[in-house]
Amino acid sequence: MIYAIVFLPLVGFLIAGALGPWIGARASELVTTGLLMVCAVLSWIVFFDVALGHDHGYAPIVGNWMTVGALKIDWALRVDTLTAVMLVVVNTVSSLVHLYSIGYMHEDPDRPRFFAYLSLFTFAMLMLVTADNLVQMFFGWEGVGLASYLLIGFWYQKPSANAAAIKAFVVNRVGDFGFALGIFLVFQLTKSLGFEEVFAAVPGLAGKTIHVFGMDVDALTMAALLLFVGAMGKSAQFFLHTWLPDAMEGPTPVSALIHAATMVTAGVFMVARLSPIFEYAPTALEFVTIIGAVTAFFAATVGLVQNDIKRVIAYSTCSQLGYMFVAEGVGAYSLGIFHLFTHAFFKALLFLGAGSVIHAMHHEQDMRNMGGLRKDIPFTFAMMTIGTLALTGFPFTAGYFSKDGIIEAAFAAGEHRTTAMIGFVATVVAAGLTSYYSWRLVFMTFFGHRPAHSVAVNHSHDEPSTDDHAHGHDDHGHDDHGHHAPHESPLVMLIPLAVLAIGALGAGYVFEPDFAGHAYDEFWKGALFTGEHNEILHEMHAIPAWAGFAPTAMMVLGFLVSLYVYVLKPGTAQALARIFPRLYQFLLNKWYFDELYDFLFVRPAFAIGRLFWKGGDGAIIDGLGPDGVAARVADGARLAVRLQTGYVYHYAFAMLIGVAAVVTYFVAGGLR
Amino acid sequence: MLTIGLTHYLVVAAILFTLGVAGIILNRKNIIVILMSVELILLSVNLNFVAFSQSLGDLTGQVFALFVLTVAAAEAAIGLAILVAFYRNRGTIAVEDINSLKG
Amino acid sequence: MPFFVQLAHHFLPETILAVGVMVLILIGAWRGERGFGLVDEMAVGILALALVAIALSSTPDTSVFDGAYIDDGFSRFMKALTLIGAIASILMSVDWLQRSGLEKFEYPVLIILSTLGMLLLISADNLIALYLGLELMSLALYVMAAFARDDGQSSEAGLKYFVLGALSSGMMLYGASLLYGFAGTVSFAGIAAVVSTSAPIGVIFGLVFVLAALAFKMSAAPFHMWTPDVYQGAPTPVTAFFASAAKMAAVAITARIVVTAFPGVKDQWRQIVVFISIASMLLGSFAAIGQENIKRLMAYSSIGHMGFALIGLAAGDEAGVRGVAIYLTIYLIMTLGTFAAILAMRVQGRYVENVSDLAGLSRTNGWMAFFLAMLMFSLAGIPPLAGFFAKYYVLLAAVDAGLFGLAVIGVLASAVAAYYYLRVVKVMYFDEPAPAFDRAPMAVRAVLAVSTLALLGFWVYPTPVMDAAAAAAKSLF
Repeated sequence: MIYAIVFLPLVGFLIAGALGPWIGARASELVTTGLLMVCAVLSWIVFFDVALGHDHGYAPIVGNWMTVGALKIDWALRVDTLTAVMLVVVNTVSSLVHLYSIGYMHEDPDRPRFFAYLSLFTFAMLMLVTADNLVQMFFGWEGVGLASYLLIGFWYQKPSANAAAIKAFVVNRVGDFGFALGIFLVFQLTKSLGFEEVFAAVPGLAGKTIHVFGMDVDALTMAALLLFVGAMGKSAQFFLHTWLPDAMEGPTPVSALIHAATMVTAGVFMVARLSPIFEYAPTALEFVTIIGAVTAFFAATVGLVQNDIKRVIAYSTCSQLGYMFVAEGVGAYSLGIFHLFTHAFFKALLFLGAGSVIHAMHHEQDMRNMGGLRKDIPFTFAMMTIGTLALTGFPFTAGYFSKDGIIEAAFAAGEHRTTAMIGFVATVVAAGLTSYYSWRLVFMTFFGHRPAHSVAVNHSHDEPSTDDHAHGHDDHGHDDHGHHAPHESPLVMLIPLAVLAIGALGAGYVFEPDFAGHAYDEFWKGALFTGEHNEILHEMHAIPAWAGFAPTAMMVLGFLVSLYVYVLKPGTAQALARIFPRLYQFLLNKWYFDELYDFLFVRPAFAIGRLFWKGGDGAIIDGLGPDGVAARVADGARLAVRLQTGYVYHYAFAMLIGVAAVVTYFVAGGLR
Repeated sequence: MLTIGLTHYLVVAAILFTLGVAGIILNRKNIIVILMSVELILLSVNLNFVAFSQSLGDLTGQVFALFVLTVAAAEAAIGLAILVAFYRNRGTIAVEDINSLKG
Repeated sequence: MPFFVQLAHHFLPETILAVGVMVLILIGAWRGERGFGLVDEMAVGILALALVAIALSSTPDTSVFDGAYIDDGFSRFMKALTLIGAIASILMSVDWLQRSGLEKFEYPVLIILSTLGMLLLISADNLIALYLGLELMSLALYVMAAFARDDGQSSEAGLKYFVLGALSSGMMLYGASLLYGFAGTVSFAGIAAVVSTSAPIGVIFGLVFVLAALAFKMSAAPFHMWTPDVYQGAPTPVTAFFASAAKMAAVAITARIVVTAFPGVKDQWRQIVVFISIASMLLGSFAAIGQENIKRLMAYSSIGHMGFALIGLAAGDEAGVRGVAIYLTIYLIMTLGTFAAILAMRVQGRYVENVSDLAGLSRTNGWMAFFLAMLMFSLAGIPPLAGFFAKYYVLLAAVDAGLFGLAVIGVLASAVAAYYYLRVVKVMYFDEPAPAFDRAPMAVRAVLAVSTLALLGFWVYPTPVMDAAAAAAKSLF
């Protein structure tokens, strides 16, 4: 069954990718979506078997990949509770996104390619989560990176989409470099890359040091940090987050699937999967906590002022990923995964809802041009509200259980570690900010009044990302008819919303006991490792009441402020921006990270590149090497060709010379 | 008195072989001569086989020689057939003229 | 073992081909010119049947027919490759032959006959069987080279191949007679027993002559001279067959004879093999530069590749032979794919074969350009394509055997060779488009796609080929 789950998307990719032009867009859509539906159903079956049932998991080996000396790597499909959770998340969201895309992309001429990419992504993601060794994980890791690159740049006629795709790729390379180094170090330490062998060897390595750059550092900490750099890149954590907002250039279903629900959570998954390593590297865990906390706070602040509906949600994703890392940093891996699980539902819901809004507004993404849509698209409005409730942690929705759990765990751990307390403060503040910007999004989009110039009247807005040249041509068709009211999306797009809404409401309540409650042990069955002194899941229930209520209070506060600013007193936001122009610009420009990186890395890299190109390569290497060698090679070629005269007797003579030469050699050798 | 031994046969065969190869290499005029040279080479080989067979007291060499004779006949037939096809296309069988393919 | 048991258990593929080809001749004689389609399809069936017989055969290594013939893992592996090459060649050739007015039933008959010769050659265990197999293969190949009877170039190719082939047969026979005379036996095992300690100079002479003839068949320098002319002049499907199936048999018997008959004089034959290998690699790399005719280019390419395959043989141990087996498998796939692409080069009903005809192919036929580019990258040995691993395993074996100089020259030669492979890619992707090609027939497209995918897939799942090659190499020692 696990074979079917993993390889059906590959089949879908091959069919849609190779045969797409022949079988047509409709067939490609149906095949890929149908296969993903099957996968999703099978995934739930596996989930019930392995996670909720008594099956302890298995790891069938598909075949040997490579064997080089001591390095032996197999293709294997490891299934345990952690994998089962990821399977459910990936396949459920992926199948819903496939379905949704049938509606969302129905005007696009390249649908077979789109669906092929989606299925390729799903396959790579499944390879990642079923990996039984670090190299297969890396394979999936790079596979999802590739699919992400292809999908961000799906509308390759748009320069901005290409730039975003390249940016995502390059920033991820930085993280992957760390990941690769981490893999090397793990192999160096344990002489193995299979999870079982590595995990078995880790306890014996505690306290071992290695010599790096003249310093003796703890080997496991070093390994964990390097691996975490990979997770930072993939999960868009602070310093390596810059690609994620730009990735919103891709089609919205892609944002929902890859840049919210699944791929960006790969880093969280990786840390959880490698929990046996991280548990023995407390310094690395503190680093994880800090990075998570900073990201959660930073992304939430930037989200406050963004005007592009997708960018708001993107920063929200970034921020929520920070929460997950905070949870893992304080040792509550299950809570991190739990938040990953619930987050997948409500964030996919929000993105798909945003997609529905964008669809309704004829590919308008700037919220300043929206307003009052709740009457035009009531169903989308309801779904977005559910998503927002879940995201902000309204009591008994999915986010309430997972997010508040993380905050409580951070507080509990804060009694031992300062970093955890920083994590607690950051996440509580971020909770308030989250509530504010989430409701701001709802209010700006669905309440108030639409500016007169929006939709089908004036489309050349100055915000570059909103001007969708690639597939905006249908809008111009509408222009001829004059004004067009926003319209509700087709059923095929609304069904996924409804399904996800159910998850966003109920996933937390239903699964809370399993993920982090009393059924913890029966559920995880040892898939997550926690050290002997790690009692975080018990301690978090013994925290003072105020700490438990803090996030809820912040949520309410954020809601009220947002309500005041955007509904009761419209115009307050602009007034605030005028009062604090520097702060506003600072946030609007995302803390000037892009500018900083441009100054620090991009321009020096160009300068160095130019130096090597013109000076090193052009003048020195070309001058002495290739040009000279090439000339000698050309001489050799002329000589060889001249030997080939076309005359049979010359050919026969050459053969005879060959024999004579060898015979002479042996005769001479015999005489010697 | 001169006893004709194995060495003499081998020397004769070696001379025949060399003559055959020389015929292929030196002849510039007629492909038929090349076919004859090839036959000469095969005959020298047969002489070798039979001489060795006699000297070793082993029949295998003679069996081999018979196989060589048989195959040589087939080879000559095929060679002549190709030669005829070539002649019909080019109107010549001069070795010097077989050089449209080169380089 | 009774004769018929030997026939049924250890000679089944050959029996199938031999009986099948006689039936085909009868059908051809009876149906005349109209018989081509039927005979062609039956030929594919017969070859496929032989392939199945090999695949299902699992008998232990056995010597049959009084030691003239051996049925072992190595021979089965190489025979399977040969048959795959033959089947693909026939499948690709149908359309070409019909368009060129050459749809004669003799063509599939000749392919089967020469394939039968190759199988005999691969399994030969004494000099007589070696000679007969070699001649059966070669005689059919001479005729096939000249198959386009009304084409002067084809006739010239056939004639050149015949003359030089006859010379090489003569050399082989002369060498065989010396081996027989000085070792007193024609069987490989017998020769091995005689030369296990010391080798008379006559045996070394004989070995040189035999190896020269075999090098001729596998077109290794300096016995390669026929190759470019014959590849260019012969009908393209025939060239594909020359480049694929025929090479398998020649390399296989070379490996078998040096390993099983001359283990005692390893140092001597290793020097010969190293010499031939270096000469082939250098010549193949240099002479191909500047070639405009793509068939001629592939001829030089195949010379270079044979040189590379011989690196593994020069190592002379089990790892080396395993490298050779892997190399040949991947070379077969690459060659078939490339010739499928060449057979797809048809502009308005006329076949073209110049590199410049590929110009701008990426814009007129993106898939074909992609496939051919992958094949070129693989031929050049660029990772992660299969061609890289082919080179990797032979070089590894050579380094393990201490042949550092050979390995270094191999790497340098492949760097030079990359130039002309990449030039093809450059022409396809960066030059102004030449007229678009006509739609290629199904079989050609299938071979092109399957071979490219196999090259890409080798990186992911090499196990079957690796295991089979290892088993094949093991049975030779």
